[in-house]
Amino acid sequence: MAVVEEREGLLGESPFRKPGTRSRRVTLIVALGLVLFFPLIAIPLFDSYAYVLQVGMLMLMWIAMSSSWNIIGGFAGYISLGHGVFFAIGGYAAGLALAHWGISPFLFLPFAGLAAMAVGFLAGLITLRTRGPAFIVATIAMLFLFLLWFDNWEFIGASSGLDLPFLQFPVQWLKVPFYYAMALCAIGAVYLAYRVAHSKFGLGLRAISQDETKAEVAGINTRWYKVWAFALSAFFIGVAGAIYGYSLTHLRPLTFFAIAVAARMVLMAIIGGRGTVAGPVVGAILIIGVNEFAVRQFGESELNIVFTGLILVLALLFFPQGIVGSLRKSGRLPAFLDWD
Amino acid sequence: MAHWLQILVLGLLLGGVYAMMASGLTLLFGVMRVVNLAHAAFILIASYMTYALFEGLTLDPMISLFVTMPLMFGLGVGLYLLLFPRLEESPRYVEMTVLLTFGLALIVEGLLTFTFTGTFRSVRPEYASTSIMIGDLFVPTSQLYASLISFALLILLWVFLRFTKTGTAIRATMQNRAAAQIVGVNVRRISALSFGLGMSLAGAAGSLLSFMFPFFPARHWQWIALLLALIVLGGMGSIKGAVIGALLLAVASAFVTDLVGPTWSPITFYLTLFLILMVRPQGLFGAKVRL
Repeated sequence: MAVVEEREGLLGESPFRKPGTRSRRVTLIVALGLVLFFPLIAIPLFDSYAYVLQVGMLMLMWIAMSSSWNIIGGFAGYISLGHGVFFAIGGYAAGLALAHWGISPFLFLPFAGLAAMAVGFLAGLITLRTRGPAFIVATIAMLFLFLLWFDNWEFIGASSGLDLPFLQFPVQWLKVPFYYAMALCAIGAVYLAYRVAHSKFGLGLRAISQDETKAEVAGINTRWYKVWAFALSAFFIGVAGAIYGYSLTHLRPLTFFAIAVAARMVLMAIIGGRGTVAGPVVGAILIIGVNEFAVRQFGESELNIVFTGLILVLALLFFPQGIVGSLRKSGRLPAFLDWD
Repeated sequence: MAHWLQILVLGLLLGGVYAMMASGLTLLFGVMRVVNLAHAAFILIASYMTYALFEGLTLDPMISLFVTMPLMFGLGVGLYLLLFPRLEESPRYVEMTVLLTFGLALIVEGLLTFTFTGTFRSVRPEYASTSIMIGDLFVPTSQLYASLISFALLILLWVFLRFTKTGTAIRATMQNRAAAQIVGVNVRRISALSFGLGMSLAGAAGSLLSFMFPFFPARHWQWIALLLALIVLGGMGSIKGAVIGALLLAVASAFVTDLVGPTWSPITFYLTLFLILMVRPQGLFGAKVRL
């Protein structure tokens, strides 16, 4: 890439240049600027500042989660419905560190991610012995086993939950640190997905999702590739869990383990485009945007989950490659969304 | 000793109902390679129908079987024709069915919560709270009835699959879809019919469960994990295996409940499911179907 850019400077239009480099660079700068300065921009624009930052934080959280899920579910093609486990591990690891040792979750974030990654590594070693639908069912069983354990584990408050001390911060700006922590997490997750997509490792994962036997014959150590993909996909989900849990100040197993949480990551990645870098980001923004709009217009209701299910069914039937995937197939993907 | 016998009997009674629930699910997988994550959600639809019929018309839950079974049959045939032929060309068909039925389960759960709210419901006919003593054994009447009806329906299913022409066609499709098509079986018709059949068994299960356990919309996740454990243990697609798996696990969980306590009894199912998938993804009794 660096070599190509140098040439560009010398010779102008280079035949080797992937089209749209400039528009991608502009998008990246605009997107980063928007994410970083949003809390400032939002002050004069919105009356309900806390609400707007909360939505922003949720959007970033789901970008981080679905981008992470995409590493195993999209690139490697192993659909996991159990990633709620890593969300919970991150949340509880940071929560316990705060409640028992008084360590701020913001400082504990990397360790929450590592804890989730370690559990992901072990869980991957076991569940990835299966493939296809058996893997999906195994991850659901894993989710329920962890839920049952957390629900009955007195040390972490069992099913009634664990209370955390509030963050000492001016109430008016309370959401700002959570927003920035989540922004860091989302940027990290998307960057990780990008790096994986552009590495030999990512190429190996794609080969596995196409045809695992052939990938193995071609000399890819499929087992370790898959296990590492599973572990990597857990890291930023754990980090997101730590931030989200702290923002709630009360940790209950069902907040993290609800099957709807796991379902959403999958849904966003599928809507946006499984196995693409930009797909989960597009999916997360779309789903959270529509959801917040629906909640504001019609109020919080059980029908939200109906829409989640309905969108999933319709996407699978008519749109299995998602927005980014379908646009690419028809050759109409705008360059600024083409990060693969 | 009498204590152990008591637990064994209770486990077997429950196992009879589980067996019927699981046979519907395993039939869907056997004929169509559909892993129906919405099966328990459909069972709940029937439970709520039974509840509405009981509250509205004081219809006995065991009689509402005659309403729920045909209605669920129709729903099954309709859903099959609407959704599944479209997926057939997909290279990852089985995975697609898992995600699709997952979506269906979310839709059903949301609609049930919207209509009936999230509170616990139960249907309380007179026999729901009585019991009979056979010698030293204590037998809840509701479980006895439910179990007898389940076994009766299972025998009917067996007779249908074994002795009728359509049943033979269904079994042929389960064994080899392409070969069945070659000898003139209308595979799509058979699939739609089997989907209806599996769903009508879900309907019967819903009516019976309605007076055995309290239920609420999100309950179906627990049920589906349990059912998957049964049919994975029995070998997916094998009805005989599902029945054996159901009886085994129901008895096992009854003993776990007795020894460790009721909060931990679901672990029997989750752990079995997990371990069997790891060790032998094709299950204990099933033919070597690539799952």
